[in-house]
Amino acid sequence: MSLRETINGTTAGDRVLFIFLLLVSFIGIFFIKEVLPRGNEVVIEVEGRVAYEYPLDSDRTVKVESRYGHLTVEIRKGKVRVVDASCPNKLCEHQGWVSSGAIVCLPNRISILVGSQEKPKDGAVDATAG
Amino acid sequence: MKREFQVQRSKFQVHCLLAALCCILIVSLLSCSFKKDQIYRKTMILMDTLITINVVSDSSDKASKAMDRAFDEIGKLDKLLNFFSSSSELSMINRNAGISAVKVSPETLEVIEDAIFVSEKTGGAFDSTIGPEISLWDFHTRKMPDDKTVKERLPLVDYKLIRIDRNKSTVYLEKKGMLIDLGAIAKGYAADKAVEELKRQGITSGLVSCAGDIRAFGLKPDGKPWKIGIKNPRPANKEDEIMATVGLSDMAISTSGDYERFFISNGRRYHHILDPKTGYSAEGCRSVTVIARYGFQTDAFSTGVFVLGPRKGMELLRQMGFEGVIVDKDGGIETTPGLKGRIEFKGNN
Repeated sequence: MSLRETINGTTAGDRVLFIFLLLVSFIGIFFIKEVLPRGNEVVIEVEGRVAYEYPLDSDRTVKVESRYGHLTVEIRKGKVRVVDASCPNKLCEHQGWVSSGAIVCLPNRISILVGSQEKPKDGAVDATAG
Repeated sequence: MKREFQVQRSKFQVHCLLAALCCILIVSLLSCSFKKDQIYRKTMILMDTLITINVVSDSSDKASKAMDRAFDEIGKLDKLLNFFSSSSELSMINRNAGISAVKVSPETLEVIEDAIFVSEKTGGAFDSTIGPEISLWDFHTRKMPDDKTVKERLPLVDYKLIRIDRNKSTVYLEKKGMLIDLGAIAKGYAADKAVEELKRQGITSGLVSCAGDIRAFGLKPDGKPWKIGIKNPRPANKEDEIMATVGLSDMAISTSGDYERFFISNGRRYHHILDPKTGYSAEGCRSVTVIARYGFQTDAFSTGVFVLGPRKGMELLRQMGFEGVIVDKDGGIETTPGLKGRIEFKGNN
């Protein structure tokens, strides 16, 4: 049976069903992309550009380098920490494990954004003064 | 009969097709409306701090381009005003203190003039020539200067010794050893410049946070103002980090606190907000939040009001027509009358 014959052999109901399924798929793609929250992520930015993106639930250790120095970042059990930093103050190392928020290493120009990348929930602040 | 059936069938098909087209149209409209008015966000490390820009736009490309231009603007200011970079215009002014006037860009001239304006309004409680004193301290290594050196350097702290020639676009510091440090005004000023650039790029709503110096304009996609948290100067735990929230649109906000860079020695808290008259940390407040039209105002006045203390500080806020929250050294909270009903305190605060 050729494709033309197959198409000719379909009833109006078949075509409606086909269009309906097509629409459901499109809506599904749109829904997943726009409405469902993305999972928790670790986004590592070097000098303002996204260098690495990892899911928070997969354990790993990453060495991140910038023109100014380097950091070793550990992701384990849904938390992130800086294990080793090449800067003198090592403030990011002292910050310890973080499960949401950010770890910023100013001397090395590296920032690690931890947590859900979904839109802020009602009640969350857009910025903090101080 | 057969023909009638065929006509009905084709009518039915046309109806189905129309219904399907309507569905497609509705879905496309829905997706368009979702694309409209989104908040786009970018962060970058500039001016030795984390800078976050949020913009409301219907296009990711437009938002991204506008934010990049705003970051470029802040980067330009960082090059001009960085206290620690030997190639900045500010360092040139400082190196030539007591020697010669230095020709500077309009931005450097403007921010120094703004700093002098705030110094005058605060009676010297804010003074950008605090450089010789602040450079004696290191709050990371708990380095405390000896009292003799602090006192020796006090005559170098005086904004009245800054000479500006607007026609020649020059700045001159009258005494050798003077140092301008714009750390308490530059970030607010940078937020202003970034907002100007975003507006030039056609953005009508956004939020620029240069660390804790924030300027908001327009409304969020849900029609609400931007929600800004004010840090609790003495949080008991992680949930207690924000003391209050306030909704802002077309305004700036800054908080100066004794908790940002500090160490405690012999039961006394030494922090980075120095009183230009003594060279030591100002003691009357734990934190001061100022809300005003421009970022340079909130950044510099929050420092000036902190140094003035709760009573004189509140009086100055009233005179200037600014809003604010002062947490005094004992934890007492006072807000300006205009904030009542607009600010929401959390928990025990």
